[in-house]
Amino acid sequence: MPGLGTSFGRGGATTAQQDLANADCILIEGSSMAEAHPVGFRWVMKAKERGATIIHVDPRFSRTSALADIWVPMRAGGDIAFLGGIIRHIIENNLFFRDYVVHFTNASCILREDFRDTEEGAAGFFSGWNEGQRAYDKKSWAYNGDGGLSFPERDLTLQHPRCVLQTLRRHFARYTPEMVEKICGISPALFYKVADALVAASGPEKTAAICYALGWTQHSKGVQIIRTAAILQLLLGNIGRPGGGIMALRGHASIQGSTDIPTLYDILPGYLSMPRGDGSEETLRDYLAHQTKPTGLWNNYPNYFISLMKAYYGKNATAENDFGYSWVPKLTGNHSFFEYLYDMADGKMEGMFMMGQNPAVAAANSRFQRTSLSKLKWLVVRDMVEIEAATFWYDSPEIERGELKTEEIETEVFFFPAAGHAEKEGAFTNTQRLLQWREKAVNPPGDARSEGWFMHQLALRLIAKAKQSNDPLDEPLRSLDWWYPEDEHGEPHMESVLAEINGWYTLGRGTEAPPTLADGVVFGVDRDGKPHHGPQVDGFPRLKADGSTASGGWIYSGVLGPDKINKANTRNSKDYLGHGWGFAWPGDRRIIYNRASASPTGEPWSERKKLIWWDQAQRKWTGVDVPDFPPEKPPEFRPTGNESGLDAIPGDAPFMLHEDGLGRLHVPQGLQDGPMPTHYEPLESPVHNALYSRDTNPAVNWFTRQENRFAPPGDPRFPFVLTTYRLTEHHTAGGMSRFLSHLAELQPELFTEMSPELAAELKIDNGDYISIVSLRGAIESRALVSRRMRPVHLNGKTVHQIAMPFHFGSAGPVKGGATNDLVPISGEPNVTIMEAKALACNIVPGRLPRGPAFEEWIKKYVPQGGPPNLHPEQPPPGASPGPEAGGHGLQGKIDSR
Amino acid sequence: MTSNSPSEKRLEELREQAWKDGVVPGKGVDVAGGPIPRQPGYYGQPVVKPPVWTWEIPFYFFIGGAGGMSAVIASAAFTFHHVDLARAAMWLAAAGSILSPILLIMDLGRPRLFINMLRVFKPQSAMSMGVWILVMFITCVVPGLIALELHALQVFTGPMDQLLRIAASFLIFGSAIFGMLLATYTGVLIGATAIPAWFLHRVLLPIHFGTAGLGSAAALLELLGHRIAALNALGYYAAAVESALLIWLSVDKHGAADRAIHEHASGWLIRIGEILTGPLALVLRLFSLVPFAAISFLIGALVSRFGWIAVGKVSGSDPESVFAAEHY
Amino acid sequence: MIGEGIQSTNQRKHSYVQDRVEVGFFTDPSVCIGCKACEVACKEWNQVPDDGFTWSGNSYDNTGHLGASTWRHVMFLEQDRQKGNQITGPMGLTEAEDPFRWVFLSDVCKHCEEAGCLEACPTGSIVRTEVGSVLVQNDVCNGCGYCVVSCPFGVIDRRPEPLPDAGGAFKCTFCYDRQKSGLVPACAKVCPTESIVFGRLDDLRARGAERVQQLQQSGYNDAQLYDPTETSVRGIHAFFLILGEPEAYGLPPKPQIPTIYLKSAWTSAFATAIASLIAALAAFAFFS
Ligand SMILES: Nc1nc2c(c(=O)[nH]1)N[C@H]1C(S)=C(S)[C@@H](COP(=O)(O)OP(=O)(O)OC[C@H]3O[C@@H](n4cnc5c(=O)[nH]c(N)nc54)[C@H](O)[C@@H]3O)O[C@H]1N2
Ligand SMILES: Nc1nc2c(c(=O)[nH]1)N[C@H]1C(S)=C(S)[C@@H](COP(=O)(O)OP(=O)(O)OC[C@H]3O[C@@H](n4cnc5c(=O)[nH]c(N)nc54)[C@H](O)[C@@H]3O)O[C@H]1N2
Ligand code: SF4
Ligand code: SF4
Ligand code: SF4
Ligand code: SF4
Ligand code: SF4
Ligand SMILES: [Mo]
Repeated sequence: MPGLGTSFGRGGATTAQQDLANADCILIEGSSMAEAHPVGFRWVMKAKERGATIIHVDPRFSRTSALADIWVPMRAGGDIAFLGGIIRHIIENNLFFRDYVVHFTNASCILREDFRDTEEGAAGFFSGWNEGQRAYDKKSWAYNGDGGLSFPERDLTLQHPRCVLQTLRRHFARYTPEMVEKICGISPALFYKVADALVAASGPEKTAAICYALGWTQHSKGVQIIRTAAILQLLLGNIGRPGGGIMALRGHASIQGSTDIPTLYDILPGYLSMPRGDGSEETLRDYLAHQTKPTGLWNNYPNYFISLMKAYYGKNATAENDFGYSWVPKLTGNHSFFEYLYDMADGKMEGMFMMGQNPAVAAANSRFQRTSLSKLKWLVVRDMVEIEAATFWYDSPEIERGELKTEEIETEVFFFPAAGHAEKEGAFTNTQRLLQWREKAVNPPGDARSEGWFMHQLALRLIAKAKQSNDPLDEPLRSLDWWYPEDEHGEPHMESVLAEINGWYTLGRGTEAPPTLADGVVFGVDRDGKPHHGPQVDGFPRLKADGSTASGGWIYSGVLGPDKINKANTRNSKDYLGHGWGFAWPGDRRIIYNRASASPTGEPWSERKKLIWWDQAQRKWTGVDVPDFPPEKPPEFRPTGNESGLDAIPGDAPFMLHEDGLGRLHVPQGLQDGPMPTHYEPLESPVHNALYSRDTNPAVNWFTRQENRFAPPGDPRFPFVLTTYRLTEHHTAGGMSRFLSHLAELQPELFTEMSPELAAELKIDNGDYISIVSLRGAIESRALVSRRMRPVHLNGKTVHQIAMPFHFGSAGPVKGGATNDLVPISGEPNVTIMEAKALACNIVPGRLPRGPAFEEWIKKYVPQGGPPNLHPEQPPPGASPGPEAGGHGLQGKIDSR
Repeated sequence: MTSNSPSEKRLEELREQAWKDGVVPGKGVDVAGGPIPRQPGYYGQPVVKPPVWTWEIPFYFFIGGAGGMSAVIASAAFTFHHVDLARAAMWLAAAGSILSPILLIMDLGRPRLFINMLRVFKPQSAMSMGVWILVMFITCVVPGLIALELHALQVFTGPMDQLLRIAASFLIFGSAIFGMLLATYTGVLIGATAIPAWFLHRVLLPIHFGTAGLGSAAALLELLGHRIAALNALGYYAAAVESALLIWLSVDKHGAADRAIHEHASGWLIRIGEILTGPLALVLRLFSLVPFAAISFLIGALVSRFGWIAVGKVSGSDPESVFAAEHY
Repeated sequence: MIGEGIQSTNQRKHSYVQDRVEVGFFTDPSVCIGCKACEVACKEWNQVPDDGFTWSGNSYDNTGHLGASTWRHVMFLEQDRQKGNQITGPMGLTEAEDPFRWVFLSDVCKHCEEAGCLEACPTGSIVRTEVGSVLVQNDVCNGCGYCVVSCPFGVIDRRPEPLPDAGGAFKCTFCYDRQKSGLVPACAKVCPTESIVFGRLDDLRARGAERVQQLQQSGYNDAQLYDPTETSVRGIHAFFLILGEPEAYGLPPKPQIPTIYLKSAWTSAFATAIASLIAALAAFAFFS
């Protein structure tokens, strides 16, 4: 996620869940960690047992709140204001960890004169806004002078009026406790409780950690919320230190893996950018020039990219043909999930492979998702059970209501049974960047096959077809080096895939000759039994840009090296960080940026919080973790300004992926919606922005469309705030829980959590059926009345919040409405994630009419005509959708969903 | 889980019902007065488990009681040379001894494993003791009846007949011993449980069940035409004791702990049963309406057995009864 | 303690059955996160059938109570009380302080020192194992239902039709099968926060006492152990730490084993029997 990536360098959790046990304070905000990450939560409980203060900030009093020391009821979407208030408190009262901030962050860097804050120029906009393109020109966000990002001008006294810290101070000055109360409904007394707890856990002796997940990401400003947390943690000096850090709690078992080796359209493995098709990256040279940074780790970009090309195309990738650069597809636009949904709805897309996904339930505006699916000519669904995405054509609310007719749907649905995770081997990369190998426990039943098998077999067939044609368009397929050994069932050998990701020398050791088995070649035998490649490399520092190495995902390099040990499959944990159990990228570092755990001069900040330090005798960094720093660079090293790559990183700059090695309080480059976070209201909100006339994040993509309308601020027809969440008992769209009786019986029906106050107002009893309506649709559920929900008071207005899990759908043994029928599609500017955590709705007591009567009913509660852009800040259809997301690139990203 | 599993069907039914009625079974807390559960205990859930027994068990109590006490009457009649009455009583006892295990087995969750009852002899388990009492009862009653009939019908003569008479008297006496225990142990059976309204009346229950058994046996014999003073006296005795128990029950209240006896349908069953066996039977006898008294007593005895099982179900489902019972 | 990893008695192999060591569960709601993993693990390991898809509206608890097809049950209590020094919300500025707490407790068969179910069983189906647990032998039980009314905690129940294995009485087996092979009971094994602790009973009792003290010192004034050692049950092998009164958890404050009622009941039964015999003899003696 660019929130972490632009702040620290890498888009991944900075710490390991085990290390939370060492925290003195843990702020869980935007996640219900106990419910969605119950196993990791044991470390939070461990910290609590050791005396740490646990704080949970959430609209719901959840199972996490139940175990916290402090629960702060938050208005959905108010997080930037709340955290911003703490930042203001810290700066104004000089409570930040000065030594850390001065040396390790860009607090001292001087900004350009033409930079304008949201507080100064046009209220609510940073400098550079272009209304026509609905995007920022980010030039003015950069540093002053010609040092670029590599050698910025700094004022270590932090007094310069244009230094980052002073700019930050001015920026957050308005986020007073009173403003926090106005925006979030949090009392100043409670605000100070949290602020004091965090400040108390800062400094050489103490650390605090922050855990977040979807309560932050699924907002129209999700990246900026995470940025606020990053600023806070940098100010408190909590990054790279034991018990500190930001724990980005990721979703699906290998969602981290699915961005590392991405299933995303705009990046290549290891967060390399997908080349652009707009002409600017037509050649390899342009592309590399564009992507390679003069200083910092990204100076090695060509090594990683060319090695990737060698992994893709093998011998076919040569220096002469630019290592096959022309075969790589180029980005011609935003091809995010929502974009192709619209193409589907408009009949521009013919077919789709859907593997391990259930948008008919889980994706925003699921009603529109289902109707769009019915426009496809063909659809391949691979799943373990017959999910809604495969049954929509005969069993969905739309069929029941007569909106769609089975006879009229032309979509041909191919359902392939998939092997489950226990029925196949492979690696997961979990939330803390940890690769863990999983053995096959049982054979899949019947015709069920693994993803590996399916993709492998599909590739073999496609390549065979391509080889029979002369069409130049098929050249990329013909050039692929598809070598994987397979077993008697045609399952590819998964460790060979991991070996390729790790990387190898393309030739025999130290020779120009083709590899032989005598070279210690690991996994090197191709399908014909011939050695396929040279020895494994032992880490990404070995990767070269000359074609002598190949690696399918440089960040994983080291997982299966020349020692032939699959480190993802090791299960012998040697220390509290879990070294010896699995393999954490990069290079088995468990707490990244851990250079920051030592003072600028290289000693541990304190005995209690020591992790790595400079060993003067041996002249190298040493300690419990693998140093995330050039191992022999002394703390006192200072660059002259002529170095490149890692050589330009000073000895006291822990964030070596950045050009200057500094953590970024102000992000001069890489974000679409501002260098600093600022509070905007959710796209649908009961109130106006208390800060300025601009209500919503300007750069957001609204996906304007009649089926996807937004209620204007304070719309009396939709007076309640709805937030969505998950239950421990279910998993996302329910394919893996609703169909299993032992889970389904634990939460057998959809319900809506609401406060007794709201229930009394609407004359609803606990257990009653109610209908929930938004501009997108309506569903019914039971009412669960509980004091766990509370109304909030915003600037004198009482706002009721309700919360609904989103696990139900029309298939399987326990059925229910899909909460996402209510949720609009929207695109956060950096990662195109929808805002599913704060929307406007209404409640009608009683059940929804079944069948065609629904149409009359919904007309009563949701006006059907009018323009698609009801929100005053929403652009009309046809306007520029906003900046091209692409935030997944270079800096990396976290859970896009 | 397949989609036509019983669970799903149940769920579908629930939905349909909810759809029709607009209300849903198993509603939770009531908001009026706040969302915090105001029901006693944990959402009003039972603290102990109510009995799972169905109609077979009260019938068994009734038939076992009447049959067992018939053997007592048989032995008294035999002692005082009312051979015909003894024969009728033994027939009743035998009928009871055959029906009882059938009912008992019918109520088992796994009738084919009934025989496992005979694996152990457990004095601390009233159920085990009861089964052994029943077994011993059958063992005495059936040969006892055969011996008695052979003797009465003079099938054999001479020493053989003498022998039969002696055997019959022993067996009848044995039947009486086990019969009277069969009639009273059922009170122990439900009295020594965790169900508050039962264990609070563990002393009363055997008296009630035993006396009701005795009265029922007498009543049945009277209805079979044996209108003799001795049976009438027993009828008076039983009705008098039952009347006394009615008074005892109405006086000896334990608040919430045994409200199942005084409130709800279960309370009515008990009360009706007691009135039929007690005061009404007494009055009818006083007016010499013996057959009516007998019928009243029999119905009352049966109703009160159903009543006591119902009490167990209500009391067992009532968390407050368990909490309140702590104080007694 | 939490996070001991494979050192924890919840995770390591053992030979308690072979060594005939008394074992137990100590369940601590102050660290339970209500994840119900224990419920699910129990059902999965023991192949207990689902018992209905009814939504209760009682907080997050759709299980209700222990029974023949629920051997673990996680309770969800929403109470107007403070949990330790926990702060839940406004802090007195806009509204009067009104405390609130949500407590989770995983309930299970208590494996009583003196077990009502075991004493009551007429078939000998219920036995005491080497580790002191109370075990129902499914192949012996004939479903008489007497244990059901004899358990002072309302744990054991007879399984109704149409569920598989209907007719028999079922309850937690303390995973005797797992324990015999040195494995930890499934529920304890999966508990992420070690709210359920499995181990030697004597160790656990000491740990329980310590934990109560610890909690009381840190503001949990109403923390207490629920282990009725002074009543005729004489203690339970699966004991609990509770916050507040036992009644709120549906636990009887003073559970008694029903066998203590036998003496008075049998006395009454014998007296009635003798009285009936005498009455009959007298009736025939005097009225014929
Ligand atoms: N049991 C279970 N575990 C899961 C999953 C599952 O489906 N079931 N899914 C997995 C996946 S895919 C993911 S991505 C993760 C997600 O893990 P989480 O993000 O922890 O899960 P959610 O329940 O979606 O949302 C977290 C919390 O955010 C709160 N929230 C909503 N809006 C706001 C807001 O504006 N501000 C703040 N501060 N909080 C807000 C919600 O009330 C909720 O309690 O969980 C993973 N783990
Ligand atoms: N309103 C609202 N909507 C949300 C969210 C929210 O918080 N609120 N959360 C969002 C988030 S974070 C996520 S991640 C999405 C999840 O949304 P989806 O990914 O669309 O939903 P899942 O149910 O997780 O779909 C996974 C499917 O994969 C199947 N499956 C499991 N293992 C395998 C396998 O090995 N192979 C194959 N082929 N299939 C397999 C499962 O049976 C399941 O049907 O939902 C999003 N939607
Ligand atoms: S489901 Fe898997 S990943 Fe999620 S908490 Fe449980 S063990 Fe961990
Ligand atoms: S709790 Fe009940 S079922 Fe469990 S051992 Fe004790 S008496 Fe038996
Ligand atoms: S139901 Fe089974 S376990 Fe219970 S008492 Fe009867 S035979 Fe024993
Ligand atoms: S010990 Fe075994 S049987 Fe008992 S509750 Fe735990 S998992 Fe279930
Ligand atoms: S597994 Fe542990 S934490 Fe989860 S509900 Fe059960 S006892 Fe509580
Ligand atoms: Mo997710």
